[in-house]
Amino acid sequence: MIFKKIGVIGGGTMGQGIAEMLSKKGLDVYLVEKTEQLLEQAFQMIEISLDKQIEKWAITGTEKKLILSRIHKITDKSKLVEVDMVIETITENIEMKKRVFAELDQVTKPDIVLASNTSTLSLTEIASVVNDPGRVIGLHFLHPVSRIDLVELIRGLRTSEETYEQAKYFTETVIQKKGIMVFDSPGYVTTRLICILINEALHTLQEGVASAEDIDSAMRIGYDFRYGPLEMCDRFGLDAVLAAMEQMFREYGDLKYRPSVLLKKMVRAGNLGVKTGEGFFKYDRDGDRIQ
Amino acid sequence: MKKILVINAGSSSLKYQLYDMSDESVLAKGRVERIGMDTSIIVHEPKDREDLRYVEEVLDHTAAVRVVLQKLTDPEHGVIGSIDEIDAVGHRIVHGGEKLTQSMIIDDHVKQEIRRLFDLAPLHNPAHLMGIMAMEANLPGVPQTVVFDTAFHSTMPPMSYMYPIPKVLYKKHMVRRYGFHGTSHQYVSEQAAKFLNKQIESLKIITCHIGNGASVTAVKDGQSFDTSMGMTPLEGLMMGTRSGDIDPAIVPYAMVKEELTVNEVNSMLNKHSGLMAISGLSSDMREITDSMDSDPNAKLAFDMFEYRLRKYIGSYVAALNGVDVIVFTAGIGENSVVLRKQVCENLTYLGVKLDVERNAVRSGEDRRITTDDSTVQVLVIPTNEELMIARDTHRLLDQ
Repeated sequence: MIFKKIGVIGGGTMGQGIAEMLSKKGLDVYLVEKTEQLLEQAFQMIEISLDKQIEKWAITGTEKKLILSRIHKITDKSKLVEVDMVIETITENIEMKKRVFAELDQVTKPDIVLASNTSTLSLTEIASVVNDPGRVIGLHFLHPVSRIDLVELIRGLRTSEETYEQAKYFTETVIQKKGIMVFDSPGYVTTRLICILINEALHTLQEGVASAEDIDSAMRIGYDFRYGPLEMCDRFGLDAVLAAMEQMFREYGDLKYRPSVLLKKMVRAGNLGVKTGEGFFKYDRDGDRIQ
Repeated sequence: MKKILVINAGSSSLKYQLYDMSDESVLAKGRVERIGMDTSIIVHEPKDREDLRYVEEVLDHTAAVRVVLQKLTDPEHGVIGSIDEIDAVGHRIVHGGEKLTQSMIIDDHVKQEIRRLFDLAPLHNPAHLMGIMAMEANLPGVPQTVVFDTAFHSTMPPMSYMYPIPKVLYKKHMVRRYGFHGTSHQYVSEQAAKFLNKQIESLKIITCHIGNGASVTAVKDGQSFDTSMGMTPLEGLMMGTRSGDIDPAIVPYAMVKEELTVNEVNSMLNKHSGLMAISGLSSDMREITDSMDSDPNAKLAFDMFEYRLRKYIGSYVAALNGVDVIVFTAGIGENSVVLRKQVCENLTYLGVKLDVERNAVRSGEDRRITTDDSTVQVLVIPTNEELMIARDTHRLLDQ
């Protein structure tokens, strides 16, 4: 198993984070976007992220240059014939993902692993458009990718043993993160549990049991969380949490997944959290909370 | 026993020198850089033949070793007829821990122990082991030896190597002082005795290895008695980008105030401190000294660097209850006239009398920079760790 060149499809938040992390580990990254402009944007965001890390002394200027030099900007998917694995990170939309995988099936070497970073969609369904569904697996990274050393390895119904072993080797040996094995199920482990907690925190807030500040303090100080559930929701994006809840509600049909009305209202109002500067709390441009 | 190949394997580089031990001459030296990338750089400098420098794909250490052996035997650029002429291979190993305290021939036990020490030298020991395995694969049956950076310091007494913190950390996690640059400190202290024509046992020597990394060693009876680097190469002197000694309470304080992770605070102290942090200009001593007349930050960086070095020398005079010889070596120690001058001019109380003209001479030779009537001798001795590794390998295989 040789992993030297990795294709990353999509230059959004997760695509940027995964590309940056892979390059830091010494791998060559083929970052794919639809247009040159979107690629430039993604690349600039990675640069900003690295500059922030220099400010925090995590890396040096020389290391930044090296990291950027290993990220190759690609708009022509046929270049992916050179890669040893692909990680797809586009929008959580099943039809779009199926289109991308059908295309990847054509342009990549037939024996490499095709991974999706989906957090809620069915791996089995994504794999259905690929000639050999055995080579499709889920690699669910958490944000921020560089800081969080956990990956959910999601086995679709037809994911082969060999594909799973390769993904596990890649996760634990090549990029040195903890990989946990999860069978295809909406929300897997991480999204399912954390969204339920966030949703319950929203009910608690809505019922007037405690203030937003106090709910977060309770969980942060009481249970040693890095962020409280409401700030977590702000950081994930309220729209993303709502989409995940709705997806799980549809799939499981269980009332415990019904999204809180407050969440829906805030999304409609455009208060999406850190990315809009306001959710349950307020944030500055760097994403730091304004106290 | 004539030809010995010395290997220094890093995580993505491999440096080599081939010695002819009949006269200790270097037949060829070179390096493979950026191992694991499409564009690895290969530099090969044979004696009396044209140098070679080119780019090709070298996927791993085994491939790098293959490249090295090919270059050494190449009809045009090589220096030996066949790889059978290589009698032994000596490896430089950064960390030998408490058990591997002298140079030795490699066997399974040695490899196991090097692996056990990965936690203490996470950047170096895994790479060294890859180098050993790659050599074994390409030169089966050729004896291989290991020479440790920590070995020379294994003679330190407990009062030098223990930290005054709960002992359980020592017992469970091997937390103690090990010291580094041992091969260099040993080489220059032995050369110093030879230069002065004295028995090394009769001398109290303080060796200053001042390069990008820097450490000072107090040598008594020819053995390391104390050294400034500790469990890791971060302790001791101020360096190019490393802080050296600071109040340990700064670490948790900075972590809380700046919300730093363990990796970030480690990187801050190892890569963003020292000359670089104070000057805001460079981690390179030449740039600092070139700018310090006009730039107050460069001046402060230089003064702190020199002052911290001088304090260590002073404390080792106390550790040895006197000093006969002070040695400067490595990049800065061998080349910075102004650093040596400022140190020596502030050690007159010891009996150091600097000869300004001798100090200003630039050469690759062992030399004295004090006056003939100076009671303490100050020497400049170019270090040669590779030769030391070749000598140790030669000695081990002759036994």
